[in-house]
Amino acid sequence: MSIYGAAFGFGLVSAAVIAIAAVGFTMQFGIANLINLAYGEVMISSAYAAWALNQAGVNIWAGVVAAAAFGAALSFVLNRLFYTPFQRRGAVLIGLVIVALAAGLMVSNILLAIVGPDSVSYTMADAVVLRAGGLILTWVQLVIILISAAAMAAVHALLTFTRLGKAMRATAANATLARNCGIPTGRVVDAVWVITGALSGIAGTVAAINSASFRVADGATYLIVILAAAVLGGAGQPYGAMLGALLIGEMTELSAAALSPQYKEVVAFAVLVVVMILRPQGLLSKIGALGSAG
Amino acid sequence: MTAGQIYYATTLLVYAGVDVMACIGLNLQFGVSGLVNFGFIIFQAAGAYTAAVMSMPPAAGTFQQYVGGWQLPFPLPWLGGALAGGLLAIPIGLIVLRRLRADYQAIALLVISIIANTVITNARSFLNGAAGLALVPPPLSGVVDTKTVGYQWLYVGLTMLGCAGAFVAAGRIVHSPYGRTLRAMRERELAAASLGKNLVLLKMAMFVVGGLIAGLSGAVLVGYIGVWAPNTWLYPETIVLFAALIVGGRGNNLGALLGALLVPVAFEEATRFIPQFGPPGFIPAMQRVAIGLLIVGFLWFRPSGTLPERRRVFPKAQSGGMRDGDAAEGFRGSPAFDGRPARAASLAPGPSLMPEGPPPAAASVPRLRAENIARHFEGLRAVDGVSLELYPGRLTGLIGPNGAGKSTLLAVLAGTLPASAGRIVLDGDDVTHLPAFRRAQRGLVRTFQLSSEFSQLTVLENLLVAVPGHPGDTLVGALRGRRSWWPVEARLVNQARALLDRFGMSAAESQYAGDLSGGQRRLVEIMRALMLRPRVLLLDEPMAGVHPSVVDEIASVLEGLRDDGLAILMVEHELSMVDRLCDPVIVMAQGRVIGQGSMTVLRQQREVVEAYIAG
Amino acid sequence: MAAEGVTAGYGPVPVIRDVSLRVAPGEIVAVIGPNGAGKSTLLKAMVGILRVVSGSVRLGADDVTNRAPEVLAQLGVGYVPQVRDIFEPLTVHENLEMGGYLLPRTDVPGRIDTVCAVFPQLGGMLRRRADKLSGGERKMLAIARVLMLDPRVLILDEPTANLSPQLADALLRERVRGLADSGKAVVLVEQRARAAMQIADWTVVLVSGAVRLEGRPDELLGRPDFEAAFLGGGGPPSRGAAPPARPATR
Repeated sequence: MSIYGAAFGFGLVSAAVIAIAAVGFTMQFGIANLINLAYGEVMISSAYAAWALNQAGVNIWAGVVAAAAFGAALSFVLNRLFYTPFQRRGAVLIGLVIVALAAGLMVSNILLAIVGPDSVSYTMADAVVLRAGGLILTWVQLVIILISAAAMAAVHALLTFTRLGKAMRATAANATLARNCGIPTGRVVDAVWVITGALSGIAGTVAAINSASFRVADGATYLIVILAAAVLGGAGQPYGAMLGALLIGEMTELSAAALSPQYKEVVAFAVLVVVMILRPQGLLSKIGALGSAG
Repeated sequence: MTAGQIYYATTLLVYAGVDVMACIGLNLQFGVSGLVNFGFIIFQAAGAYTAAVMSMPPAAGTFQQYVGGWQLPFPLPWLGGALAGGLLAIPIGLIVLRRLRADYQAIALLVISIIANTVITNARSFLNGAAGLALVPPPLSGVVDTKTVGYQWLYVGLTMLGCAGAFVAAGRIVHSPYGRTLRAMRERELAAASLGKNLVLLKMAMFVVGGLIAGLSGAVLVGYIGVWAPNTWLYPETIVLFAALIVGGRGNNLGALLGALLVPVAFEEATRFIPQFGPPGFIPAMQRVAIGLLIVGFLWFRPSGTLPERRRVFPKAQSGGMRDGDAAEGFRGSPAFDGRPARAASLAPGPSLMPEGPPPAAASVPRLRAENIARHFEGLRAVDGVSLELYPGRLTGLIGPNGAGKSTLLAVLAGTLPASAGRIVLDGDDVTHLPAFRRAQRGLVRTFQLSSEFSQLTVLENLLVAVPGHPGDTLVGALRGRRSWWPVEARLVNQARALLDRFGMSAAESQYAGDLSGGQRRLVEIMRALMLRPRVLLLDEPMAGVHPSVVDEIASVLEGLRDDGLAILMVEHELSMVDRLCDPVIVMAQGRVIGQGSMTVLRQQREVVEAYIAG
Repeated sequence: MAAEGVTAGYGPVPVIRDVSLRVAPGEIVAVIGPNGAGKSTLLKAMVGILRVVSGSVRLGADDVTNRAPEVLAQLGVGYVPQVRDIFEPLTVHENLEMGGYLLPRTDVPGRIDTVCAVFPQLGGMLRRRADKLSGGERKMLAIARVLMLDPRVLILDEPTANLSPQLADALLRERVRGLADSGKAVVLVEQRARAAMQIADWTVVLVSGAVRLEGRPDELLGRPDFEAAFLGGGGPPSRGAAPPARPATR
């Protein structure tokens, strides 16, 4: 089997990682109305939280759970401390982008001050390699794909079947009307930050697991890939982000096989630029913000 | 001073100069034009690399890999660096500035800056990869001894020269009519576009000028420190510059200067003198955290910065050869020309209200004739075969229930929306297919229902910015300096002041338009339309959102304009005003004209009454 | 529910000044007037979307001036805006669920059945996305969504806008009148003044942000200054005259 078969498998893993992150990012945009440029930094911080536990002897999969909690808490705090006050004051979208960038700068540098700039990696059992057809995946990669699938299913279930999830979609579609219905939109948005924060925590940790090692500076590169997937799928649309993640994941890995692995982000970036120019509303714009997929 | 102290002082001064240049460049983009260029650092980097490879010896035979290696004499590497920054702005600007929303623009630029770093780091053969370039020869090496203290001061002098150049150029831009247009674009893009300003061109120009200055600053720095590596080019450096502008004062060149001295220089230098503690890298990281706090704190507590943008106050007595009587002469019957050169004459001449061109038409000949105008939106007939004529010296009212198509008709007449069918004739010329700004140049001008004033421009500036063809309203004109455009400006100021006087708003001339009451803002909009010396004026709800006490004032202003011979069409809900001002009145319902005549007559017509009451 | 001397607006300049209005259970108060008169503004101030600058809004004996919209919903005030009146990307069923957000979870399905009994057409399209509905269906959904909480007061902003005259008439006569007859207090803003007055118990004519005329619809229609209120001029404004006697509420 060619390297492209293997690359396709890696692409699936990448897509799985990106999807978790991009869905959270796009939900923040769609419901909380904010382009959270600190997202990549929350991811990498959560990965380090899992690392700290891992160093203390905790199994890394338990670390994923801890990272989810950490990401949720950090996102909640960022929103309450910085974003909501500026939004209440009526800051325009572009002002919020600057605030978010400053918030990201602070998060990454606090992290940098604590853990330093060097690469670290998790301690985990040696990977068993699985082969199926042309695909070659390690057991760890398979678990990542399963986690992602579970996360996507959970997000789908949340948005489609639960009252909270429907209230989130209602708030995204028309916040004023939601309040007229008696929906406490402030608390709904809080819930969005907690849930998407948990997604970013999981995403950061599985991304770190998937790469041999990671460092603080990786937060910025995560952000590019996530932006690409979210914008490709249509900003604010979770199902679009899933599709975007799949496309970006496969494109980056296949191009890495064809060209050079150093240019993964460059490919993601090229896709981002092309989409922004040709179709700024994204692929799934017809559905409308946070619509049901049907 | 010991040699060490001198070396410290000169290093600090060169760094300060570099940061000041960068902040001035970024201020033109972010502070003045509202472009959030999160990728600013790459233009600085491009300038630095270009200057380096232009001054370095050929790469062959050295331990480094790079392109170029031309050993060009000073000042060519500096100029080349500036040029590289400017040239790089063209492709990036073409990608980013044309179709993207402002927040997408910012993100795209941030992403470009992160990606550029990845590319440079990985492409070793291009600029030596992650290691970066070292042993960049200082300027004038071989000509003078670069190891002396004197050379240090020479370098400081050259840096200050670069700073001064950037400062003067930026100052000329900011204080010119061109800068006024840039600020108008920053305040309200759509309104600026409706005045015929080419937004993409304006943004591109500022992108390139900012890129040039950034490139120069990079070249100055690389010549001084002799090394440059990609890992000093990370996007957080851009955030530091943004912090400098936010702290110093966006839109104000002195604020940019102050911010550069306060944030990157003083702030980062001060930490040298606190005792080192924590693990390595702890203090720089904490500096970055503090930068983030500075941004958020200033945006929250003092969003306009330490030195806020200065309000432009025009001197009362105009110089530049104006005759003193001009402003006082009023509107009607004043001589149109005062001997301006031909170039300026293409502008609205003198403070007379009526433009040159066709002689004052007889009151029986319509200025504007619309025949069977239709406008369809996706099958919906918003305007469905409307014909009307507007006569000089008449104020025609356009009324009707919600959704009757009044505003759409107005937009079609003004050219804001294309007509689906029909013909529009202005003074005998068919203007159906002309864009809005061309119609405006021919004297067909509209106002908008939604407020469209530029908040952070003064009332006088709001009026001045509307005038097309101003010699100072181009980049070249602005850079030529005040002398090249002041005569025209002075005349326009007088024209605007005459308008302000007539509208009883002279006292508010130097107030920000954003600080005015709703009624005064409507007046500003009407005056802005009048700056174009229209023959036909289309007003969309000039009384909307106006306090009742001001309504009378606006009404008498409109009566005055009507008596001056303007042909006016006014959409208005306030029927008592229509009653007082308008004759004839056209009633529209569901895209059609259902009645025409005086209000007294219309009130008797069943169809009209029904349209209003039955809805 | 009552508004007493309410002054409100979007910017520094108030759109409505010193407007009072009272509606009792089982009664429809129609608010009519030329466009730009401030009809929608009045409603928004009453339901807590716009800040009331002066005056007060009362619900029964409670002062609810400037309470948050979600609080008013809880207290039994249902508001149907003129546009953006449903959650477009959600299904009909989900829209109704959101309307019943404040109900105990277990009560929601039963309540949806009850509301669908009032609007049988909706029962057949529960799975459809709300933005796929026709204009009439859409408005019914918007009203049904508000009914989920069984409000005491219904506030409708031009429910017949964009509907054909026949549909508009049916909606007002059958639905809106029916709701009032079931005991709800209804405030109805309408562009179709005549149609609204035919079903209303009391009519308020708003002109330029102030109450120009008010009275029982049949009385108003006969008055010479009624048409003038819409088209200006004509008879003297009735404001100086003694206010018409308010009928005893039913």
